Amino acid sequence: MTDDDAVTEPSVAAIGAYTPRLRVDAAAFEEAWGRFDAAGVEAKAVPEADEDALTMGIAAAQRALDAAGRDGEAIAHLAFATTTPPMAEEDLTPRLASVLGAPEDAATRTLTGSTRAGAQALAGALDAGPWGGSAGQSDRIGLVVVADCPRGAPDSEIEHAAGAGAAAVVLTPDGPGTVVDRAAHVESAPGSRFRGAGEAETTGLDITQYDREAFTAALGGAADSLDVDLSGVDAAAVQSPDGTLPYRAAGAVGVDAETIAAGETVSQLGDTGAASVFLGAAAAYDDGAERLLLAAYGSGAGANAFVVDGAVPVSVALSGECQLSYAEYLRRRGEITTGEPDGGGAYVSVPAWQRSTPQRHRLVAGRCPDCGALNFPPGGACRDCGRRPESYEAVELPGEGAVEAVTTIAQGGAPPEFVEQQSRSGPFVSAIVALDGPDGGSVSVPTQVLGDADGVGIGTRVEATIRRIYEQEGVIRYGFKMQPVERRR
Amino acid sequence: MRDAYIIGAGQTEFGAMPGESYRSLFTAAVDHALDSVPGGIDADAVDEAIVGSLGVGGRQIGLSGPAVTEHAGLDGIPSTRVENACAASGYAVRQAVQAVRSGMADVVLAGGVEVMTDMSGDAAKYWLGVSGETEWERLTGTTFAGVYAQMASAYFDQYDATPEHLSKIAVKNHANGAKNPNAHLGFECSLDDATSAPAVADPLNLYHCCPTSDGAAAVLVASEAVVDEYTAEPVRVAGVGAASERVGLFERDTYTGIDSSTMAAATAYERAGIEPDNLDFAEVHDCFAIAELMAYEDLGFCDRGEAHELVEAGATTLDGDLPVNASGGLKSKGHPIGATGAGQVAEAYKQLRGEAGDRQVADAERGLTHNVGGSGGAAVVHVLEREVGR
Repeated sequence: MTDDDAVTEPSVAAIGAYTPRLRVDAAAFEEAWGRFDAAGVEAKAVPEADEDALTMGIAAAQRALDAAGRDGEAIAHLAFATTTPPMAEEDLTPRLASVLGAPEDAATRTLTGSTRAGAQALAGALDAGPWGGSAGQSDRIGLVVVADCPRGAPDSEIEHAAGAGAAAVVLTPDGPGTVVDRAAHVESAPGSRFRGAGEAETTGLDITQYDREAFTAALGGAADSLDVDLSGVDAAAVQSPDGTLPYRAAGAVGVDAETIAAGETVSQLGDTGAASVFLGAAAAYDDGAERLLLAAYGSGAGANAFVVDGAVPVSVALSGECQLSYAEYLRRRGEITTGEPDGGGAYVSVPAWQRSTPQRHRLVAGRCPDCGALNFPPGGACRDCGRRPESYEAVELPGEGAVEAVTTIAQGGAPPEFVEQQSRSGPFVSAIVALDGPDGGSVSVPTQVLGDADGVGIGTRVEATIRRIYEQEGVIRYGFKMQPVERRR
Repeated sequence: MRDAYIIGAGQTEFGAMPGESYRSLFTAAVDHALDSVPGGIDADAVDEAIVGSLGVGGRQIGLSGPAVTEHAGLDGIPSTRVENACAASGYAVRQAVQAVRSGMADVVLAGGVEVMTDMSGDAAKYWLGVSGETEWERLTGTTFAGVYAQMASAYFDQYDATPEHLSKIAVKNHANGAKNPNAHLGFECSLDDATSAPAVADPLNLYHCCPTSDGAAAVLVASEAVVDEYTAEPVRVAGVGAASERVGLFERDTYTGIDSSTMAAATAYERAGIEPDNLDFAEVHDCFAIAELMAYEDLGFCDRGEAHELVEAGATTLDGDLPVNASGGLKSKGHPIGATGAGQVAEAYKQLRGEAGDRQVADAERGLTHNVGGSGGAAVVHVLEREVGR
């Protein structure tokens, strides 16, 4: 690629990465199964019951925007890639855009179907950008959000390896990470990893030599199509379905094992599917790497390779904290829980929910024009002065506050619509939090608080994060919960 | 405005009664009320009925007033269901008083009924939650116990009270309920039982929470124009107060008291022309023990933050200065939601007539009933007194 070509494409301004806090290690599997089938995986990340690819992607996207010093308002192009969309049919990018505060005219893309969906999303964004050409748009950005939480049958290699995580890439005309070269390559090699329509578990043929050949041929083909010399890369983030396969491809790709090791997360996070190479890149940048190869593979088979040059700022939450036993792991996965019981749940119609999304997604409160008090949700008579204004001034809350009242709903005590959450994740904290106003003042909101009840008392400082609230009428309801600021990673 | 009197009142046993329906329970309560009228009364004398019910389980959630009064043989009279969650039949009594005082009726039956034990635990938890604020509060996964637990957390943070004070209230109410043949949980418990019980919603444990019960209660309210036909020793409705508050706890000014209770009590005292000091006993809404503790302050039995001192001093035990929940309260007597408020008035009626048996408050001449809906969205307070020398 020539210098002239380089200026026609956006470059990488920042990367954000998020992983769930929960971890399960190889020893827990060995104790349960007598063996652990995910070679090279020491531990892996496990989503909480109220996490999925969209919530993880949101967390990564917020970190990426922070690292880039940009707001969601600047987004011109928004791509979401995952092999595990929470809904098989329904566009999730409008919800992603709503939470991030992206403009309604942002171009949105969803990519799924293989573990190279994230790389395809990045390639598509590079094709589409930069977004600085026309007047009034000079400040706009592209955001590629990649999140995954694959799963297989409990006794399969895929499930033993299955981790979770998300990364997001901010693209701007002048970001520090220049995409100096990129290429794609396909081989017709089906069957190394697949999932039938309507199925939840990914599987494979488990034909070792065939799988390896498909993997290395596709990746090698993409690497061969690059013009730049790979000897200078500090780290190679190579697709990692397990902890050994990327090294099998070292020769074909043209990098050494040490370079692959500098760009891997599979040993600590497990197989993160479409997010694998992006999490590897985030970890490498976090360690100081400045020239990276990203090499993604997707069964079918195809591969994408990118060489990015320049130190890219990152904001990462890659560390884990809570070690699960295997039984706790099965609970979190919903393998041994039975779902929501009969009995009914708090009914909020979808139209009613939709009206509240500015509050659920972005904490939009209302300032009373008569007395200045904040109201949440805004509407009706003012909580403070009791008068009923014609309208409230919309005020987006920063999302931090202090616990005012708190309880822990003991195991077995959850109402029906929260029974499955409690079965999977255990007792949960329900609280009232006084959220800070942007210019002083505060307004109280009810919320769940993530994490251990021991860490939450009156006065505990907390911050907002987006999670699944509950599911009703087949529609997943996403909204804010809070987590102690002390838990921030 | 003419005076209103209680001329009779009764209730069924509260508890799990799989052999009874909401209709049969209500009918039994009507019979108890009619039978209790000292001078006797014919059912035809009842001009109107107001029925409190939340409608737990759904069952006859529409037209539940006529459904029970027609079944009970109160044929053809106007009959209306009042819904204010756990304060439903407290409000039914208040509406009966309004009807009588307005002159539209001379004898009104105010009652309540609920059936809560014929469904799964999950279904019961759903129905217990329907009076919480739906769109926000309930979607934090909280429960009825959870909201009161949040109040307890704030209360304990602000004042010197501890969970042990809640346990002492449970011990007191069980001691009283053990003397009440109609009580759902009519057994005594030790302080150890009440402190070591499993957590429900921290800081509330199982003994800090009332049961879910089946039951019905009914009260007959008569005008001063006709009261002498039925009794020579009526119980006068000296004062009534009621007030509302935001349904969601997070929407309120305070979490350490219930403003609707405070307002309702102030009105009732003013109308009755009395001070809290003039009460001989009180039946307060102790759905959770923290609710009784806060009620001591909301109802003016002590200053803010001092309720636990009343507990420590034993001031509210059956032989204390101001016995509270001689019936056993919601904790021990039980809490069939729609029947609770009328059941409190029925208890006060028995106490004022000296018919409360082993749990009789000595020299009871004036008492208060306090009935709260949900976590405080509605409250109603009655001051009742034995009319001396009528």
